[in-house]
Amino acid sequence: MSMERIKPHFPWITLIVLGTLVGIANPSFFNPAGLVSLTADVVPLFIMALGMTFAIYIGGIDLSVQQLANMVTVIATVYLAQFGIAVAVICIAAGFLIGAISGYATTRLYVPSFVSTLAMGFVALSVAKYLSGQRALYMDAELRNASFGWMFDNTAGVPHELIIAAVLLLLAWFLQTRTSFGRSLKAVGAGELAAVASGLNVNRIKILAFAISGGFAGIAGLIFSVKLSGGDANLANGFLLLAIVAVLVGGTPLTGGVGGVLNTAIGTLIVMVIRAAMVYLEVAATQQQMIFGIILIIAIGLTIDRTKLRIVK
Amino acid sequence: MNNWLTRDNLIRWAPLLVLLALICLFALIEPRFFSVRNAARIAIASTPALMVAIGVTFIIIMGSIDLSMEGTVSVCAVIFAFAFIALGGTLASFAWLALPLALLVGAAVGLLNGLIHVRFKIPSFMCSLAIGFVGTGFALLLTGGDRVRVEDELFRSLLTIRFLNFPIMVYVALACLVLAWFIQSHTKLGRNFYAIGGGEELATSSGLNVGRVRALAFMLAGMFYAIGALLAVGRIGIAETATGNNFMFVSITAVVVGGTALWGGIGGVWNTLVGVLIVNVINNGMVVIGLPNFVQDAVLGILVITAVVLSTNRKTVAFVK
Repeated sequence: MSMERIKPHFPWITLIVLGTLVGIANPSFFNPAGLVSLTADVVPLFIMALGMTFAIYIGGIDLSVQQLANMVTVIATVYLAQFGIAVAVICIAAGFLIGAISGYATTRLYVPSFVSTLAMGFVALSVAKYLSGQRALYMDAELRNASFGWMFDNTAGVPHELIIAAVLLLLAWFLQTRTSFGRSLKAVGAGELAAVASGLNVNRIKILAFAISGGFAGIAGLIFSVKLSGGDANLANGFLLLAIVAVLVGGTPLTGGVGGVLNTAIGTLIVMVIRAAMVYLEVAATQQQMIFGIILIIAIGLTIDRTKLRIVK
Repeated sequence: MNNWLTRDNLIRWAPLLVLLALICLFALIEPRFFSVRNAARIAIASTPALMVAIGVTFIIIMGSIDLSMEGTVSVCAVIFAFAFIALGGTLASFAWLALPLALLVGAAVGLLNGLIHVRFKIPSFMCSLAIGFVGTGFALLLTGGDRVRVEDELFRSLLTIRFLNFPIMVYVALACLVLAWFIQSHTKLGRNFYAIGGGEELATSSGLNVGRVRALAFMLAGMFYAIGALLAVGRIGIAETATGNNFMFVSITAVVVGGTALWGGIGGVWNTLVGVLIVNVINNGMVVIGLPNFVQDAVLGILVITAVVLSTNRKTVAFVK
């Protein structure tokens, strides 16, 4: 068996090996209730990473997701009283719109995606600071429970958060594999010039990919906001690194074209296991960012498709 | 007759014109903006950002990008502060050794960044972003989230002693700017940056060791980040994990707004000076004329996209990622 044939199976093998190691060192890790609550904890991160997968799948990157989620936590908190559960629509639409603008800047205006998303992230930060008056806001507990209380209930021991995550994963997987949009995404990721030459409307596909990334970041921000019962222009800070790590350790390379949303689900679980391991090994919270940064470099190095990069800029 | 009004000339001089127009605009709205006191305030705010932006200018000239500055600045600032205090806590003692140490740390982080980028063939924006995260994490690990105070009067004289109304740190920054200009225009290394940015394949086939030049560029950039870190600590007297915050966006905005194209090959440190001044004049001017400060982030965000759009020659770019 050659290296190239094993490579796609790396992520889930890594997950099982890591999970087993953590489980051997600390048998209580396999306690089903604990495992379910650990998994429920990474749901906002997973949803953000799910959206980011679309941006990376076409060979771009979305550095605005963290700021978008920040902005949405503020939007959700401020407009909850006025719109009730319909605030979700506003949150998703806001993320979708800003993502679409980043996509427009990348495709039509030739601004590389890391700059356009970084810049739109700062626009989102401005909106968040403006709406929040630069203060930490809190949701009214009754209103929150009336509109979004169902998110944290259980059905037969399965938290609804996990069901939301599963539904979104299914939706993203359907988009990626069962629609012509999804097939076009793969074409763009595998070779953009070839996709243009075969008559695909590449610009529209790319704009949509960034918009979906923004929309998912909006959902992630909304769930995060409801979970913490508040909003703040810095609430979701720290998510960007983990979201990129989740996508890359899942096996979707920076160069795009392979991998996809199922990989990101595995990637997020790997992040979860690593976090659990760090808690068990008593790695201080202050060290986690450094460790995930190093993991990110390793993951990029292992997954990236160098045949696509004639010149590495 | 119309020869001077070419696209090239326009791109070359547009940033300076924008800067002058901004200064006139703010001065008309609020005359207090146009005073020596306020100029000094803008200059002080600009100096650390100028150093960081000069560092990343070298990288952008090559057509690469470096997003590690926040982490590098934090690490340099924190290690400098710890070493400074451990060695005596005043410049008059052996604590001055902390200054070259900070430069070495910056160079080491930059070199590591460059080597990972070149050896493992990882695109620079992602490699440097990850290194930046590692750097911030490392600074957090060293400080445990605490602030380290550097209260030596001799070191703080960077800010407190003024010469012709401007503090010493402004002159230090200008000296470094001239040094950067010399490196860029009169050394082999500096010219090689332009060679790579102008056309990497051509540079390779002319026998240039592109990988080596790239790694050195990242090392050089790291040293300028370290100078920026020293000035930032000199300015507020505190080193902490958050010392590096915001440098990434501000410095990249400044470089791009100054007229150095993201595609590489054109622009330089003087453009960066204009760009840093544009960013800081906007930041300062908006406060002076009474706009709330949350508007700045959005204005800078739109500004950077506009600047990239204007500096892109669409005839030569096929597609971007």
